[in-house]
Amino acid sequence: MAGAFIYDAVRTPRGRGKSSGSLHTTKAVDLLATALRGLRDRNELDTSAIDDVTVGCVTQVAEQGSCIARTGVLVAGYDERVPAVTLNRFCGSGLEAVNEAAAKVASGFMDVVVAGGVESMSRVKMGSDGGAIWDPTMEFAYGTVPQGISADLLATLHGITRQDVDAFAVASQKRAAAAWERRAFAKSVVPVVDMNGLVVLDRDEHIRPDTTMESLAKLSPSFEMMGRNFGLDALTKKRYPQVEHIDHVHHAGNASGIVDGAAAVLVGNEDAGKRLGLKPRARIRAMASIGDEPVIMLSATVPASQRALQKAGMKASDIDLYEINEAFAAVPLYTMQGLGIDHDKVNVDGGAIAMGHPLGATGAILLGTVLDALEARDLSTGLVTLCIGGGMGIATIIERV
Amino acid sequence: MSNGFSAQFDAETGIATLLMQMEGRANKINMAFGEGFAAALDDCLAFEGLKGIIVASGHKDFCVGADLDFVYRSRDAAVFRDQVRQVNALYRKLETAGVPVVAALTGSALGGGYEVALACHHRVALDSPAVQLGLPEVNLGVIPGAGGTQRLPRLIGLQAALEHVAQGKIVRAPQAKKAGLVDDLQPTREAVLEAAAAWIAANPRAKQPWDSKGFRYPGGVQPDTGDARNLFAAGAAMLVKKTAGAYAAPEAAVSAIYEGTLVGLDAGLEVETTYFVNRVVSDQAKDMIRTFWYHKNAVDKQEGLPRADDARVETVAILGAGMMGAGLAFVFAQRGFEVLLKDIGQEALERGLAHCQAQAGKLRHLSTEDRDALLSRITGTLNVEDLADADLVIEAVFENIDLKHEVIRETEAVLSPEAIFASNTSALPIGDLAKASVRPANFIGLHFFSPVEKMPLVEVITAEGTGEETLARALKVMGTIKKTPIVVNDGYGFYTTRFFSAYIMEAAQLVSEGHDPVLIEWAARQAGMVVAPLKVFDEVTLSLAAHGLDMREKYEGKPLDFGAARVVRKMVGLGRTGKAAGKGFYDYAAQPRKLWDGLKDLAEGTPEVTGVDYLADRLMLVQVNEAARCLDEGILRTHRDAEIGAILGVGFSPASGGPLAWIDRRGVRDVVEKLDALAARLGDHYAPPALLRRMAENGERFFEKV
Repeated sequence: MAGAFIYDAVRTPRGRGKSSGSLHTTKAVDLLATALRGLRDRNELDTSAIDDVTVGCVTQVAEQGSCIARTGVLVAGYDERVPAVTLNRFCGSGLEAVNEAAAKVASGFMDVVVAGGVESMSRVKMGSDGGAIWDPTMEFAYGTVPQGISADLLATLHGITRQDVDAFAVASQKRAAAAWERRAFAKSVVPVVDMNGLVVLDRDEHIRPDTTMESLAKLSPSFEMMGRNFGLDALTKKRYPQVEHIDHVHHAGNASGIVDGAAAVLVGNEDAGKRLGLKPRARIRAMASIGDEPVIMLSATVPASQRALQKAGMKASDIDLYEINEAFAAVPLYTMQGLGIDHDKVNVDGGAIAMGHPLGATGAILLGTVLDALEARDLSTGLVTLCIGGGMGIATIIERV
Repeated sequence: MSNGFSAQFDAETGIATLLMQMEGRANKINMAFGEGFAAALDDCLAFEGLKGIIVASGHKDFCVGADLDFVYRSRDAAVFRDQVRQVNALYRKLETAGVPVVAALTGSALGGGYEVALACHHRVALDSPAVQLGLPEVNLGVIPGAGGTQRLPRLIGLQAALEHVAQGKIVRAPQAKKAGLVDDLQPTREAVLEAAAAWIAANPRAKQPWDSKGFRYPGGVQPDTGDARNLFAAGAAMLVKKTAGAYAAPEAAVSAIYEGTLVGLDAGLEVETTYFVNRVVSDQAKDMIRTFWYHKNAVDKQEGLPRADDARVETVAILGAGMMGAGLAFVFAQRGFEVLLKDIGQEALERGLAHCQAQAGKLRHLSTEDRDALLSRITGTLNVEDLADADLVIEAVFENIDLKHEVIRETEAVLSPEAIFASNTSALPIGDLAKASVRPANFIGLHFFSPVEKMPLVEVITAEGTGEETLARALKVMGTIKKTPIVVNDGYGFYTTRFFSAYIMEAAQLVSEGHDPVLIEWAARQAGMVVAPLKVFDEVTLSLAAHGLDMREKYEGKPLDFGAARVVRKMVGLGRTGKAAGKGFYDYAAQPRKLWDGLKDLAEGTPEVTGVDYLADRLMLVQVNEAARCLDEGILRTHRDAEIGAILGVGFSPASGGPLAWIDRRGVRDVVEKLDALAARLGDHYAPPALLRRMAENGERFFEKV
């Protein structure tokens, strides 16, 4: 098998996903183009060598509709012959883009594929793309609920307390702040600039380094009212009849931030790297996507990781560093429980609770984050995993070369 | 004139009247309706100089729905779909004929009847609370099938329509106007017709909003938007919270509205048709129609029961001014009876009278005079001599046979020889109580349910000595107070109390066997039970159950020592007597209410098999078995009473159609096998009665399969 290597990974900084966020005036396609240009320019890449561009984007309506990937390629000034595809595997989209790129390369059908993701959550409202997932028939048949309820249910089922999730959130903030302090992301972050070349944003602006257990304790649960008063908790009874009451532990402070951002990853085979004069940073050892029960929805990080580990012939303890997306604090906590791994190895430079989760881009961002962290610590193997709406999980294992 | 439909034309105004006056007392939607309506519509459209059409009824009601015989018998989806499509095509023709069409709602328009009105451009109703409007189809296990789920959201908005259709709401004319179900109210029949004609004259180019360019849904929320998705997500969740997923019809109604409003009206009607047909041919619809239409009507009409032309009851005395006594006093006064409310304590009496006042205050539609008149019919007394004029006495004193005997003797002493004495006991055999009576022929059981103002059922119990005339007079009175009477023979706990005890005691039994109480509660809800067993156990109090056990021991002459009895007695010993005490199976101090942690310590073992399905089966099997036993023992006289009593009295799964329908659906043979297996493991009290065995052997059912 030809094998797929990661030659480079870049991302934009993440702006707060509201009208006061710094990236709110930047179009989604410009975020994507920023990442695509950053990747090209740093590597002096001849874009005509790119066989395809795969871009994750979740809310594909309005300005993110109509295959934003192809428009992004054109806006970035890539060779017009470079095709592009936009894909949606919800929160796993960015990593799915990387995995599909890797699969195209590893299969030998393609040589160089750029993967990435984009989401301007301040400009395109999450959920505004509708979908069959919202059909009442689904609710009746499956008892599917909004993710926040699922996250609280996951915590309830696995004995994860409010104390636990808040402590995890504080750690995320501290680690992210410390990472920025020592410029841990300097290698990957490409500032967003306007048409005059003036900087719009060059740092993650969602971080709250002064977060404490006390400050989080003041926040009331986000999904309690909705869950108890609007019948959503009751919907989960069909699947989880043993749960008398859901313990609503999540709030804005221990769930992922809503932000704007984009990322791009350069994937290629060994020969192509040589031809283009590039040095591989890591290789993709294994990947897996998997479905799980859709009401709990967020638990598939564990089976996805296990499947990837199995395919790589590895054990959980063989992985040096993990990136487990902090969609809700209970997810990495549950995943750590499930895989039997220590917090020391997980999200060492903070995660989405601190820096935010631009849906379609996060998977690609995390791949770069774990690579930077491995290099900084001179470690070898990393595993990235994300929980996904509809009850799915995705995982990718990389190894530095 | 065909099938009672006619078209009349007023050449002067150019207005045609499409008059519906089908044979019999009401207009019912069936094949004959369709043919008659279609012919009359063609006649109307043929009139030279036609300016508009008024759709009116020659009967008291406009039309109160489909001919349920037709719906009940329909099992062939393809045939039924074609019939439904014809109706829809007819209504489309009506609303797109090019002239204004007005529904003259001079009486109630319900279900299919209201759908006729929806297919008109304008609805004028008689301004009377007696005129009812709405789409109550889900209550019979089906959904509106002639455009109701499509036109109503387009007329009053998605959210309002969801509430009306999924809840099967019926509203009175004044509220219907507020809700937008009708456009205009007029004081008299003539005024309704005049207003209809005037509207036609003023709106010569009337069109349905949904057939107009740029149509937008009223109420703000447009389909296929985030707001609409949130609305439907919350609506679906609230529905499931209420029904635990046991009812297919309201779910189908929500889906039909959701999916049908994503597309235009014609496609929407097709979506509705698919869901409608799917419901109509289903077992759940058949079972619900049989019970809530055929059985309920038969019970309310007291079919097959002795009749009295005159109950000869004007004054009713209620003994005991507690919750039940005061409630009864109010209910009788509300229906025009003179009521004497007696208690032995001044304080209790005053509380009872205050309860009546509070209830009267809730009747907003009454004028102050009417309310005062109602309350003036209730007289409180502490003195048994004051009861001399009573024609009917209902005792609602504490459940103690000695006390009741004393009350019976003391009261009968002052009564006229004609007067009926009734006991509201929920369990004590009427024959035993009647031993204290000097005229047992006038003695009867009238078992009401709490809160009596709301609960429609009354269980009428005849003891061996109860006279036929007493029964007839009592039934006449029950009809007057608008209660739904089932009539059963005497025996400890009669029917409903035995049935209900079987349910809650089985839950306690399951606790004793070590099953997870959280699962027990959910299993019951998912099986369609209206209230979870441990929750309702706490409401009726465990002390009452413990008292019942003691009474039963006395009657049966042997100790009752089984898991459930031990759990109940231990709980009572711990002071955990129920909701009123703040602690029972649940802890009421916890927010939200939580099942008590200590229940696991009451477990006497660890179950080999458990889970929602197993627990649901256990809870349902003991109930249906109790119903079968009551039939076998002759406590129950009819099948219909078994169904109506269980559902209206004690909240047995309405979606099932009742305990006997439940057995039919499950299969008698399967039920017998399951009960035998339980009996082998847990004791003879689970064994099925001979009746069920016989039916299993002969492959019989309780109700004819349609």
